[in-house]
Amino acid sequence: MSPILSLIEAMRRHSISRFANYLFLLPVLGMLLNADVLRAQSSENGTTDQQTIKLLMERIDKLEARVQQLEAVQHAPIAVSSRKEVTSPQTAPASGPADASHQQPSTQTQAAPGAQTTSPQEHEAEPAEHAEAERMDLSKTLLRIRGFGDVTLHGDNYHPPASLQLPPDHTAFTLGQLNLFVTSDISDKFKFLSEVVFEAGPDNIYGRQRGVANTFGVDVERYLLTYSSNDYFSISAGRYHTAIGYYNTAFHHSTWLQTTTGRPLLFAFEDQGGILPIHNVGVEAYGRIPSGSLGLHYIAEVGNGRESRNPIQEEPVQNIITDKNHKAFNVALFARPTKIPGLQFGFSAYRDLLLPANQPVGETILATHAVFSTNNFEWLNEALVIRHTPVGGRLFDTPAWYSQISRRWGSYRPYFRYQYINASSNEPIFPDISLRAGPQAGLRYDASESVALKLQYDYTALRNQRAVQGLEAQVGFTF
Amino acid sequence: MLKPIIRNTATTLLMLAAGAILLWPPPARVAASQAKQDSLAIIVNQSNPVDNLSTAELRAVFLGERSHWPNGRRITLVMMEPGQFERDTVLHDVCRMSESDFRRRFLQGLLTGEVLVSPKTLSTPVGVRKFVFNVPGAIGYLRPADVDDSVKVIKIDGHLPSDAEYPLHVPLRAER
Repeated sequence: MSPILSLIEAMRRHSISRFANYLFLLPVLGMLLNADVLRAQSSENGTTDQQTIKLLMERIDKLEARVQQLEAVQHAPIAVSSRKEVTSPQTAPASGPADASHQQPSTQTQAAPGAQTTSPQEHEAEPAEHAEAERMDLSKTLLRIRGFGDVTLHGDNYHPPASLQLPPDHTAFTLGQLNLFVTSDISDKFKFLSEVVFEAGPDNIYGRQRGVANTFGVDVERYLLTYSSNDYFSISAGRYHTAIGYYNTAFHHSTWLQTTTGRPLLFAFEDQGGILPIHNVGVEAYGRIPSGSLGLHYIAEVGNGRESRNPIQEEPVQNIITDKNHKAFNVALFARPTKIPGLQFGFSAYRDLLLPANQPVGETILATHAVFSTNNFEWLNEALVIRHTPVGGRLFDTPAWYSQISRRWGSYRPYFRYQYINASSNEPIFPDISLRAGPQAGLRYDASESVALKLQYDYTALRNQRAVQGLEAQVGFTF
Repeated sequence: MLKPIIRNTATTLLMLAAGAILLWPPPARVAASQAKQDSLAIIVNQSNPVDNLSTAELRAVFLGERSHWPNGRRITLVMMEPGQFERDTVLHDVCRMSESDFRRRFLQGLLTGEVLVSPKTLSTPVGVRKFVFNVPGAIGYLRPADVDDSVKVIKIDGHLPSDAEYPLHVPLRAER
């Protein structure tokens, strides 16, 4: 029954007062009559109306896209983290202007097996959607772990002085550091980074230097929470690699990333007899300095500093408690000119107070570096002086430097390094270092993108002792 | 008498050969015909205030040396999957490195803390466009035919992809 007949029927069967209830039908009646008129007109101008409707629909699509975009701007983290919801059938339009026609056949073969489809059109679009969602979720996963490791065969002719009462070195297979590099994007501004290392000390004990031989231990080498405001200011708190020179912040606990089989003597880790405060616990701020093409960067650090190295401490890094209220300060400035990609040069100044046997010794470390490193060519140069001043005593300067050069041909990279440390025999902090100088030469072969084989010859001259020659074969890898 | 001369000559020749090998430039990439190339548009989110980047700035962004936009948003790099012409173009012309060097560079950057976020890898131009549309700090690349109004194309060295001086070109898709 048409609405007009319904209205007449109502007038006949009901009183006027009840008829008033049907007054709302009048506008509907008008619309229907108009529709009839429109239908009549459309038969005359059908083509024009279809074009108008098409244009209007396109405009609605654009406006919807714009609204979604503005919503995405307002709720950006949500938009990324809830990517799966965005790609679900109910909310699929919110993911933006989908264009299934642009999907390449190869991407459709990557369909998630369990993807549900409700229409052929969605069936085309969804496989790629799910594949993308999985990848995005992988990269957005809160915890990411990357591993590094190495195994070395090492032999040398070192015979320790009789006074040390140590056995001579034997040729041995050595497990290197097993490094689990963990990062996490906590939020847009906060990030966590850590290096959890399973390692052995000189007496075969992983993680500690004294104890039962051939056992494993764990060392948290870096442990950093970073707030990154912009390119000009980031601040981190935790345990970090002190920004002394270049090598210590460019290469961490991974031999695979390094060209050679190990770090220069100058940058040896504290628990391996190193002379520098490689690690520190505290706060560091860093960022770019507006300087145009000069590319200036700064780093400022304040931390616990290290426990005095004399006698050599099991764990010189003061992770939890310190032996003094005095804090260690470090400031570094370096430039990366944009006109010469790969070039970096700069300097750093470190200041601390050490307490060997409760005798205060001022420590100042001045370092400078000039580095040119591209894909195929590497030339690292660093020099520093460590100044120790016992209160009321004389100044002890320990100069040290190294230069390393390498060039890559395909998978092969021959390299050469010369290093030098010269500490006084009366040095209050380094009585065991004395003179160590000599060349290292070797060849790195990248067997695959993740595995490197290295063969290296070492020659180290010592003061009043026979020079040490050694040979190392190493396989370093990332996983 | 002859021995020193022969020895010196041999040493000199060896040094010259070593120097020549060290300084020998890498083989130049064979340039494809301009007529058979597309431009490669650099796209960002519509809300991004940046309209133009120099090639040096673009390189810094794609290598993770810059991690924030001027509005404070963290830069999220979107790359297409290895083996695609678009990715090859960006690696060669912008980053100036091989695929393995690029991966190594980002791994080292993450390890040093210099790089905040590793690149997102997507398989299709549609995926790249949608990601850039959804993430305010995202930057990616597309052929002009794959670009629509949902994303913003930025100029490189003051040039748009339609300009003759535009620096980034990619072989036509049909040639693959």
